Amino acid sequence: MTQTDPLDNRIIRFYQVSKHFGDSWALHDLSFDVETNEFLFITGPSGAGKSTLIKLLYMGERMSSGYAIVDGMNLTRMHRRQIPVLRRKIGVIFQDFKLIAHLNVFRNVALVMEAAGFKSRTEIRRRVEDLLELVGLADQAKAYPPTLSGGEKQRAAVARAMVGKPRIILADEPTASLDPDAAERVLRLLCAAHARGATVLITTHDRELISRFDTRVIRLQGGRQVADAAGNAGGECP
Amino acid sequence: MMDMFRRAAADFVRHRFLHGTCFLTVSLAVFIVSAFGLFLVNAGALMDAWQQGVRITAYLKSDISGQQALALADELEQKPEVASVSHVSGEEGLQWLKEQIGGQTDLLADLSENPLPDALEIRPEQGLSGADAFDALAKAVAARAEVADVEYGRNWLHRFYGVYNLFRMTAAVMAALVIVAIMFIGANTFRLILYSRQEEIEITRIIGADEEFVKYPLYLESMLLGFCGAVAGLALLYAAFLSVMPQVSPGGLLPVFQIRFLSLGWIFMILMASMFVGWVGCWFTVRRFLRI
Repeated sequence: MTQTDPLDNRIIRFYQVSKHFGDSWALHDLSFDVETNEFLFITGPSGAGKSTLIKLLYMGERMSSGYAIVDGMNLTRMHRRQIPVLRRKIGVIFQDFKLIAHLNVFRNVALVMEAAGFKSRTEIRRRVEDLLELVGLADQAKAYPPTLSGGEKQRAAVARAMVGKPRIILADEPTASLDPDAAERVLRLLCAAHARGATVLITTHDRELISRFDTRVIRLQGGRQVADAAGNAGGECP
Repeated sequence: MMDMFRRAAADFVRHRFLHGTCFLTVSLAVFIVSAFGLFLVNAGALMDAWQQGVRITAYLKSDISGQQALALADELEQKPEVASVSHVSGEEGLQWLKEQIGGQTDLLADLSENPLPDALEIRPEQGLSGADAFDALAKAVAARAEVADVEYGRNWLHRFYGVYNLFRMTAAVMAALVIVAIMFIGANTFRLILYSRQEEIEITRIIGADEEFVKYPLYLESMLLGFCGAVAGLALLYAAFLSVMPQVSPGGLLPVFQIRFLSLGWIFMILMASMFVGWVGCWFTVRRFLRI
């Protein structure tokens, strides 16, 4: 495990990272750095490699070649026992929510803390209730995911991603299956997470959404990085 | 630990249909294996009971006095392979023969003198097993100067042990095959449960759960399933045993031999084996899920 240089503000470092599945290249020679507490978009058409990039970041897949460091942890040679340690530093939000259907909203969110080894029920309850309040689901704590709307599910997923106070939040097409109002609410929550100090990385193919944020955008196409444009707002949420 | 039990119990209730199916499979598997075990245990005990009836008769030379015969009996009784030795005089032997032939005592009427020599009836120790052990004991007795001849049904004994050993070997091979088949069925049923929960396991891992957090409740569940299934299978077998026993117990098909249920040792072994099979099935599947 490599420790981050305290003077080095880069929380994510990718150097010539590639990923292939058999003969097919999903990502090719990707190199970029992300500063701590940055807010950025990864964009590109379907099949550009956005979701694969997210998977590499939380070690859902291992890279085929290259070098990557996430919050001081070297992904290149990471032992599988280290993976949970990495994942506790990252909150992940998916397009299809990935909530556990038979657990209510409270339990879905609390599971993160239980998995991280929190023993105090009081502490878990307090943090989960705070988060549910923040995402506007306090009155839905006992509801089960199948009874929620798409927007509510995604807000529950955001609460789950934030409850462990992660250093990084990865959102893979978080608004793709939501109506504009619900999408707006989810984005505001991601901005709230950013305001609390998290580095937020969002993948989307929605240009209209990106245009509303004057922030850094990395563009992928066919698995290659074709652009990396810094925003004028310096990574701030609107 | 308590949290792990709580999660395992909650999963049990949540996935009750799959667990129910798995429980039934394990119960039936345990029932079949235990029924086989019950048969083996009782067949073995029946063989042992027959074996205990084997006696070695040492016919003494005609010039051996009663005193010498008793001294030899005492000496033989000291051997560890010998349980007891009784002296049968020629007169007692003739009397016994007359009783055996019943109404045809005329056959012996023409005898001018008793042709039967004194004999020693040797009852081997219960632990003595196998035709070779009986051969060795008979040979040692026959080597004594006082002994004219030894009779112990050598051919019958060898045939008996031949059949017994064949039976034991066949039973062991069959039991092994049944156990392996049942391990596969059990393990695959546990796999089904885990496959149905693949997504849930994946999500739990993505949110930062370590392998122990995912694995241990699953191990616990699979062992609990193995245990409960085994208890039900054994209970079913006991019910079957109680209903069949009156037909085969003394007064029934086997007049002397008392059929017994599995000992506590066997029951414990079956419970442990069932839990182990559950764990193995779970372990193999979980190992596959946890690879990335």
